[in-house]
Amino acid sequence: MTLPKFDLLQPSTLGEALEILSTTQNAQPIAGGTALLVEMRGRKAEPGVLVDLGRLGDLHGVAPAANELVIGATTTIAELLKNPHVTERASILRDACSTFASPLVRNRATIGGNVAQGSPAGDMAPALLVLDASIELRSVRGKRLVRAVDFWKGPRKTTRKSDEMVVSIRIPLSQTPWLSSWKKLGLRKADAISVASAAVRLSLTADGKCEGARVAVGAVAPTPLRLAKSENALVGKPISREAIAQAAAAAAASSVPINDVRASVDYRRRVVEVLVRRALMEAAWEVLT
Amino acid sequence: MTDPVTPKTLPPHHLPPLKQIGKPLRRVDALGKAVGATQYAADFTMPGMLHAKVLRSPIASGKIVRLDVARARALSGVACVLTGADLPDAKLGTDMPGQSGRAARTGSDAPVLATDVVRFHGEPIALVAAETLEIAEAALQLIDLQLEPTPGVFCPEQGLMPGAPNVFGTDNAVASYKIRKGDVEKGMAQADLVIENTFFVPFVEHAYLEPEAGVAWVDEQGTITIRVCTQVIEHFRTVAKALGVPQNKVRVMGTMVGGGFGGKEDVTVEIFLALLARATRRPVKLVYTREESFLATSKRHPFKITHKTGVKRTGRITAAEITMLADSGAYPYLTPYVLLYATGMAAGPYKIDNVKIDSVAAATNQPFTSAFRGFGGPQAAFAYESQMDEVAKALLMDPLELRRVNYLKTGDTTVTGQAIRSAAWSEECATRALAALGEKTPDTPDRKVGRGFASYFQSYGRIMWFHDTSRAWVGMELDGTVIVRCGVPDIGAGQSNSLCQIAAEVLGVPLERVSIYSTDSALTPLAGTSTATRQLYMSGNAVLQAAGVVRASLVKKAAEMLGVSPEDVDLADGEASVVRSPGSGAARASSSPSGLGGGMPLADVAARCASSGLPLAHLAQFNAPFTEGLDPETGRGDIWPDFTFGAQAVEVAVDTETGEVEILKSAACHDVGRAINPAAARGQIAGGSHQGLGYALMEEYVVKDGMTQTPSLSEYLIPTAVDFPSTEAILLESGTGVGPFGAKGIGEPSLTPAAPAVANAIADALGVRIFSLPLTREKVLAAADAGKNVVKPDRHW
Repeated sequence: MTLPKFDLLQPSTLGEALEILSTTQNAQPIAGGTALLVEMRGRKAEPGVLVDLGRLGDLHGVAPAANELVIGATTTIAELLKNPHVTERASILRDACSTFASPLVRNRATIGGNVAQGSPAGDMAPALLVLDASIELRSVRGKRLVRAVDFWKGPRKTTRKSDEMVVSIRIPLSQTPWLSSWKKLGLRKADAISVASAAVRLSLTADGKCEGARVAVGAVAPTPLRLAKSENALVGKPISREAIAQAAAAAAASSVPINDVRASVDYRRRVVEVLVRRALMEAAWEVLT
Repeated sequence: MTDPVTPKTLPPHHLPPLKQIGKPLRRVDALGKAVGATQYAADFTMPGMLHAKVLRSPIASGKIVRLDVARARALSGVACVLTGADLPDAKLGTDMPGQSGRAARTGSDAPVLATDVVRFHGEPIALVAAETLEIAEAALQLIDLQLEPTPGVFCPEQGLMPGAPNVFGTDNAVASYKIRKGDVEKGMAQADLVIENTFFVPFVEHAYLEPEAGVAWVDEQGTITIRVCTQVIEHFRTVAKALGVPQNKVRVMGTMVGGGFGGKEDVTVEIFLALLARATRRPVKLVYTREESFLATSKRHPFKITHKTGVKRTGRITAAEITMLADSGAYPYLTPYVLLYATGMAAGPYKIDNVKIDSVAAATNQPFTSAFRGFGGPQAAFAYESQMDEVAKALLMDPLELRRVNYLKTGDTTVTGQAIRSAAWSEECATRALAALGEKTPDTPDRKVGRGFASYFQSYGRIMWFHDTSRAWVGMELDGTVIVRCGVPDIGAGQSNSLCQIAAEVLGVPLERVSIYSTDSALTPLAGTSTATRQLYMSGNAVLQAAGVVRASLVKKAAEMLGVSPEDVDLADGEASVVRSPGSGAARASSSPSGLGGGMPLADVAARCASSGLPLAHLAQFNAPFTEGLDPETGRGDIWPDFTFGAQAVEVAVDTETGEVEILKSAACHDVGRAINPAAARGQIAGGSHQGLGYALMEEYVVKDGMTQTPSLSEYLIPTAVDFPSTEAILLESGTGVGPFGAKGIGEPSLTPAAPAVANAIADALGVRIFSLPLTREKVLAAADAGKNVVKPDRHW
């Protein structure tokens, strides 16, 4: 199928873009288009107006501040992958970018697009969840910051209102070092939609006590999940294989995956436990051995 | 005991020293593809061109209760809407003259457009041509199509049951074969052990880079001309038959093809385009989307294959009883032939005296199945090579040793009694492929490493009772350059290049001096299909013959000019020169001083040939050996001209917690007879192996109740470049093939052993076999669970 008919608007300021979104029925922001154009061609999305964000320079790039990293929504996955601030201060996001689709897609796809699309299998979400990230939404009515844990509401559903736009992702920077690990299982090595994914971050004391834990998983529930039960199995205890196994089992128990052509419920639940365990083992490896 | 994977020295053989053949020369089609200059079918446009779309059935089985196109016809910008009612007799001719093991059955031709019933999801119902693609799509929405769903057949077993809904003929049986050799009951009685297993393989999509596309127009002489990506330009005859016009009023101009693999062997867009161009008298373009390409075209056959093998403790196989059930989908297409290939190769490259094979293909309301690289061979090989490893396991015998005891040798006969006439280097190929794996990678706690290999034999050239022929024209220009004209469709495998390299060799010119005109049914001599691994064999021999006649003229004239006898003349590097032949006193020094290498430029020789009336061009026809079919009761007879033999070995790491399988190493060794262009031969092996590994591990076109569940490349996964390591290609050259210079075919054979090699490697890693493709993570995980307490046998490799 050819693309459905649409008008393309190319605002040159953010204000102009927000104005369009607030006054236009059925308008949809577009950046890389790697997801939206495919949906439009399959008639799964038919926005009457596309608002191209390509000319909005202030939505693009990574700005390091003292206590947070501000990532513009239209920053591409490829740009994040080679950004030194991301590598240094949010390495799990870089790891998630490295398994994202393929080089061609990474050159076009943006972090804001992946977040806003709201796929339960979106590969940015688990990393952002464990990084305690917030998503900055703007509209003519003002701006609001939504914590990542509150952002995704269901398959393709987010808290974003139709007149709002994701303008940045804000990642708080911690003074203490955290250990992290990202695991993704797809059905092939590139251009693969996650069958299950896991992101973990741990803060461990010198003697191996777990002071903080973040565990998040993708593709095993209607939204990306942050898993309090898994985190509770770890926090306040010395890190150990047993604690990790409990956290991983809790991840499987918290999962409510679907059967589809890619994988069964049982398989997804089983491998998410493996991924969480492996991610935790990898993050804590030096302390455990 | 010697190390079992040290390859033996190859038998001595003598290949003549050649100048252009056997060199990895840059392919004549490489530059255009590399810089994006090559025009593919969808790249062509014409002034005043219309755009076409096809209305397809949204259900798998039903009656058409209403089909009203009035509103679509009335839409502004729509030039033409056609339904089956506008073309009452248009059938998509599927040629099955007696090869099905039954008499040709009526009703085997698919309708071009469905009129009263639809038999599969995606079946074409109406055609639209409009000023723009958008209008054509809008017109499809305006067609009032009402269907009444009817009970369907969704697996071949169901189709063959009494009282099943009728899809084809009276009993849904599309084709069946019987092969009887020796006495299978006696053979089983002689066996020390009888092992029986059943194997399953799925629908597979070709998934080439280039979806089907074409542009058609009616030229000033009234000839319907179709520029299309196809493996078979001879479909101009199929088009003529469907339209009821003389065959010389349809012309197919092929383009460079962006992948065929059998999917462009049947008619795709051609008849639709011809009908619309004839109706509108305007050029019409039709390009399938990827999703339409998935829905509209053939798939590789699913098979259920049961092997019952009787074997002595020594490993000698005494009997094989094999049954095969194939899914033909909604229409026969090439199913009868694919089933024949699978049946004829069902027992593998093994000498077995007592054989009973029964095969049948049944129609279902599923995607129609037809040609796919290997043409039944890969399905057969997955079963027979999995079975060989299971037999070895039951005997506590090394799988290579078991095969050594049973490999077919030159002079032995296949299950149909056909004698192997060329080299049968199965053992040499298997030992080399295994040796190439090197040191074994150690296990880690969650990753078990296994190794497996598979041998195979695969025909090249068409079934001999097709009476296959090919033609090629070779001529030398007056400046010493060479032109080849040959109707060969180049589907990306180096078909044109090989022909150029053969002409260059025979005529003694560098490859750069050879140009080829190909794939035009009106202007290039018909060369037959680019299928069945036949073009190098058939058209290569035609070029060899044609170039030989031109060479004779040049040698005769050069001998006169040089004052020597023709036997003393050699053509090389664009010159004729005198060589010292046994008993001759002539020497190089006596040749003309004007040539670069001390020889006489071929341009001078060609000019003198022309002025003295010696022919500088020749049209040759090569005929394959002709036979007249198998005995229908016993299946005795010769089927194919010859076979390629080879093997592939892989090392895999299996993640026992997730079921992920990583190919660590892969090596394939094939006796290609003679590598006309070794770089191209290696390319074929690299591609065939990658496609075969995809068949092994991920490719499955899922159909549920007749409906496609994998409608796009998002659900239907093919391997990317990073999924598998490169397969090391080891080329052996026995020089014994029936192709030019002793070449065998490698296009299809290169795919065949990959999947069973992986299945065997996973079974080696886990101690548990998986009996169906693809070897998905979920199946592998279940096998890993089952294999937790299995003790693996020791192996030498």
